[in-house]
Amino acid sequence: MKRTLLALLLLVALPARAEDLVSGLSQDTIQITSNYTGTDIVVFGAIEQPQNTQGRNIVVVVRGPDEPMTVRRRDRIAGVWVNSDAARFEGLPAYYYLASTEPVARIAPAAALARYGIGLQALRPSAIGSHHDPEPFRQAAIRYHQRTGLYTESPGSIDFLSESLFRTRVPVPAGVSRGQYNVEVYLFRDGEVVSAQSTPLFVDASGLERRLFNMAHDAPFSYGLACVFMAMLLGWVSSVLFRRQE
Amino acid sequence: MRARAHGRKHCRAAEQLMEIYLPVAEMSVNWLFIILLGTGVGFLSGMFGVGGGFLMTPLLVFTGIPSTVAVATTLSHITASSISGALAQWRKRAIDFAMAGVMLSGGVAGTMFGVWLFALMRRQGQMDLIVALTYVIMLGTIGTIMLRESLGALRAYRSGVTVSHRLVHRGWIQGLPFKMRFRQSRLYISVIPPIAIGFAVGALSAIMGIGGGFIIVPAMIYLLRMPTKVVMGTSLVQIIAVTSITTILQATSNYAVDIILALLLVSGGVVGAQLGVRAGAKLRGEQLRLLLAILVLTVGAGLAWQLVARPADIYSLSEGLP
Repeated sequence: MKRTLLALLLLVALPARAEDLVSGLSQDTIQITSNYTGTDIVVFGAIEQPQNTQGRNIVVVVRGPDEPMTVRRRDRIAGVWVNSDAARFEGLPAYYYLASTEPVARIAPAAALARYGIGLQALRPSAIGSHHDPEPFRQAAIRYHQRTGLYTESPGSIDFLSESLFRTRVPVPAGVSRGQYNVEVYLFRDGEVVSAQSTPLFVDASGLERRLFNMAHDAPFSYGLACVFMAMLLGWVSSVLFRRQE
Repeated sequence: MRARAHGRKHCRAAEQLMEIYLPVAEMSVNWLFIILLGTGVGFLSGMFGVGGGFLMTPLLVFTGIPSTVAVATTLSHITASSISGALAQWRKRAIDFAMAGVMLSGGVAGTMFGVWLFALMRRQGQMDLIVALTYVIMLGTIGTIMLRESLGALRAYRSGVTVSHRLVHRGWIQGLPFKMRFRQSRLYISVIPPIAIGFAVGALSAIMGIGGGFIIVPAMIYLLRMPTKVVMGTSLVQIIAVTSITTILQATSNYAVDIILALLLVSGGVVGAQLGVRAGAKLRGEQLRLLLAILVLTVGAGLAWQLVARPADIYSLSEGLP
């Protein structure tokens, strides 16, 4: 009897209590064409059954395909900077963008962030090949990608249109890799994830770019030959044109 | 706020007109800048009879293009610039095809050796250093020799003394077997030195992304003692053959040739080369060599500085596993 009452109470209370999240993207594919200089996608979402905004945080993470990378450290040997130690990483993304209502360190404890892979400091390679402490190498990899605009943490960049409606603009720069990206939206309540949603985003080349890329990989000999002929033809044409001028 | 957003949109539209996406390098570049780069380097290559790879490869890397793509794609630019230059020289009957053919037999073997060495060095993780050191040593040595020689020749010219290259003894080269007559060059020498030079240049072409003109030209002048007039055209023929072979090898083994980048560089390069040939014809051989020596030494000094200067970040990253 008591148990039934409790269940009934929960059933009534739950829809009112549980905040939920729905989100979407302005586009689910990005086509890289010949005049691609980077673009923006808009991630938008709504919180269902919103409660007070105090203690509530939204985090949007866009993660690109994993890419193996090698980080090398240079040391000065006989006055010359020489690559000495190296670390190989697998499982670090080629692109990582984070938008949040607040700096992530203030949203949740480090352990929770690490569990969900939220924040640049939570990026951990799945495999490490190194004879040394890999940490400075990992930091260098993050630094490198931040410099090239491929890793970004952008706190305070989520716009609320109402109590429950939000959106954020994610820049996708020109240097991005092709592949499947994942857009993850997290709803935090007092440092705990209460709802999350993940949507795939595809980045692909189209048209001529795609055909040329495919040809370079599928028919490399003809592709190389085409390059040589193109160079020779243009060289010859210019030579003929200039001779006519004289 | 709205005005600012509108301005940004306008800016991006203008930016988009100037940018083109490179399918193999997987990045956007300003096409006008790349064409102008091709024109500038093409001008120098037409003027001096060198491919200009030793300038183009570092410049492309500086622009942010991955070094493997820069090395492999520069070769097409050299092929094209050299074609228009070579045709111009051919019309002047200034090519020794016999010499070019003999050198090329060594060049093909050298290219294959170079591609093999390229892969070996990449596994060792020391490719950048070895390439940079090779550049510095090559450019420094050749630049210094050329500078001394051309200054000496200019001084002799001013004081009215004519130095005849014919009279300078060729030392040990004269004593080698398998002699052959090269009519265009008015030489009767062993085929071993041209084959050896061809081999060395082929190897360096694969490793450094250069045509090797800055090695062939001095080698022809100072080692083989070929007449300067024939040197330009003959070295260009040799360069065309070596860069064509290396382009195909790079495309098949490394997938590193970007045809759009090549098209942009080549379009600028062929025009520049034509203008360069005309500018070069107005200068005396010694003056040309002096200018080339200064250029070679400047690039060498710049690369040497990069080796010894403290890098902005002592860590560097390369995509993929070595």
